[in-house]
Amino acid sequence: MKPTKDLSERTLGWLLLSPVAVLLAIVVLYPVGQLIYSSFFTIRLTEPWLGTPFVGLENYARAWDDERFWGALQNTVLFIVVTVPGSLAVGLGLALLANMPFKRKWPVRLALLLPWALPLVFAGLIFRWFFDYKLGFFNDILMKIGIAPQAWLTDPVLAKIAICFTIIWKSSSFMALVLLAGLQAIPKSLYEAAEVDGASKWLQFKEITIPMLMPAIFVALIFRTITAIQTFDIPYAMTGGGPGDSTETLAMYIHKNTLDFLDFGYGSALATIMFVVSIIATSGYLRYTQRSAGRD
Amino acid sequence: MNIKKLVLAATLASIAAGTAWSQTTLRIFTGGQQRPDVMRKIADEYEKRTPGVKIAVEVGGATSDAQQQYLNTVLTSKDSVLDVVLIDVIRPAQWAAAGWAEPLDAYLGADRQKVLSQYMKAYVDANVVNGKVISLPYFADAQFLYYRKDLLEKYKRSAPKTWDDLMETAQIIMQGEKNQNLRGFETAGAPIEGTVCTYLVPLWGEGSDITKNGKLNLDTPEARAPFQLMGRLKQSGVLSPNVGEIATDRIRINMQAGNLIFAQTWGYVWNRSQNDADSQVKGKIGVAVLPSSKTGKGATCIGGWQLAVSAFSKNKAEAAKFVRYLSSPEVSKMQAIAASHLPVFPSVYKDKEVLAANPWFEFAGPIVETAKARPVTPRYQEVSDTIRSNMNAYLSGTKTTDVALGDMQKRLSPVFK
Repeated sequence: MKPTKDLSERTLGWLLLSPVAVLLAIVVLYPVGQLIYSSFFTIRLTEPWLGTPFVGLENYARAWDDERFWGALQNTVLFIVVTVPGSLAVGLGLALLANMPFKRKWPVRLALLLPWALPLVFAGLIFRWFFDYKLGFFNDILMKIGIAPQAWLTDPVLAKIAICFTIIWKSSSFMALVLLAGLQAIPKSLYEAAEVDGASKWLQFKEITIPMLMPAIFVALIFRTITAIQTFDIPYAMTGGGPGDSTETLAMYIHKNTLDFLDFGYGSALATIMFVVSIIATSGYLRYTQRSAGRD
Repeated sequence: MNIKKLVLAATLASIAAGTAWSQTTLRIFTGGQQRPDVMRKIADEYEKRTPGVKIAVEVGGATSDAQQQYLNTVLTSKDSVLDVVLIDVIRPAQWAAAGWAEPLDAYLGADRQKVLSQYMKAYVDANVVNGKVISLPYFADAQFLYYRKDLLEKYKRSAPKTWDDLMETAQIIMQGEKNQNLRGFETAGAPIEGTVCTYLVPLWGEGSDITKNGKLNLDTPEARAPFQLMGRLKQSGVLSPNVGEIATDRIRINMQAGNLIFAQTWGYVWNRSQNDADSQVKGKIGVAVLPSSKTGKGATCIGGWQLAVSAFSKNKAEAAKFVRYLSSPEVSKMQAIAASHLPVFPSVYKDKEVLAANPWFEFAGPIVETAKARPVTPRYQEVSDTIRSNMNAYLSGTKTTDVALGDMQKRLSPVFK
């Protein structure tokens, strides 16, 4: 290959990519840059006479001493640690179920799609009623089997369980869709060969399904982890962060500081921290996918 | 002939365009709970009287918090889309500080004193910030004690004057009725704005307040009283174990279903409980001033909605004229009859037609006159958030009085420094 041709191809490549690059710069790089920049200033719209002085790392120092921030971070981590593996396990189960040779595939697929298609805040509102103390579905069942009704959404431990349950219900279907696509890409001949060799179903699952599904699992995990870090809608609709602040997530606390308290400087610092957490959490996955891409 | 028609059409079109050009459209923002249908009727009336002005009513947000969140995004971006905004009584100080409201003094001119003197004093205090008229009142509101007249009569009890009285009466009736669904008392406990009043009303009833001479005043025995009171009510079963998830409208629903003896809530409940088809308590509801501790000084939380002209409006003069119309005794009367909105003018409470539609205004009026304002500060949202989330945590049993009060002091001391 001649280097000249290579160069022109590279130029053409850049040219073709440039609209996307410009678009990304406008909608991603600029806002992120603006966010980080704002985090070094005092910007309190409730007290405009303070002006917008540069305060260096003061907003970050404030976060360090802010118990509510640490509480929100802790809740966010808890929701990630519980709901990411939780929805992977449930999603995998649903995907395996949907991959079975049903006569009619569409009702199964539709059932899979529905929770995913539902807006997050609707899911939160629906489950708030399910978990309601007086009128709720769950307490109705408890009472029918002779157990005292529980204050699901006003007890800090039960509220966390209720929220995790709802998040897993809501996000499993997305996991299942991604994993189902992965499952269907596995050649049937592999299972047939294993069958001939006398491998048990469990062995087939462990030695064929799981390894072949790994790329799909990682894609699903990356997406799920990012959305888990940003958890907002479901706890917002179900408990509003209560009781007290015991189910408040980082995203909710950022929303509270910016849109309720109009403290954009501090809110920006918190959002920058969340951005860094997202990058760290996903870089592990990204390194894996890069490595596997290199292997191919 | 064709040319003749064409000329005629062109002339007509240009006249139409000309009138459209000289027409001003004012856009007013209101919440879904503040009866936008009645606002529309009033706007129709105004359009009839004021040629050249069209009113567009924009409706958003079912709660005060949801409305303000939307308004925060519109106003921080200095958007001129809204001309007049209906704001909660807790907001004028915030709006004045943020520079979102056009002060109305210049538009009132020589009439300023005369206009202000017509309103109930509490509403003048709420709308005038640092000597400037930030907004004008649209309708009044306050929290009342709603009680089951029929049940109190059956057990020969009178409307309670003190909290102890309320607890005792509730217990007697609950024991007597043996109805599993019947609760003694309900007030807002979810992390919402109304829960601020759940803390403040008993605090005021002790003769104390959040601040004293502008300084935080929570290291007093009185500041513990609201927690202790709610704790006792919950422990005795008078207050439901799920009070931590009770928001404003749930109280109305429970009262209307006949499941409550007492409730602390806003003025709209009376109308709904007497007129809704599914109400189980028609003719069985009494309204009184909220109880206090033994000092016998009942206090209540002021509510109601104010009209502000957006500082970013392009039609401020026309908007101010419209606001003056909306904040007039005439419109107050229309609202009282059509929506049972409590008037902001003492004179309207005495109007025969108004009283015929709302007999309970006779005793509601004096209660509204004594209503107190929640703390006035540009950082009210932080104050509100702190009180409501700590009260909610206490009611849910996750914080003790000491912890809740300590956390409130920690977060509020930078606001009231």
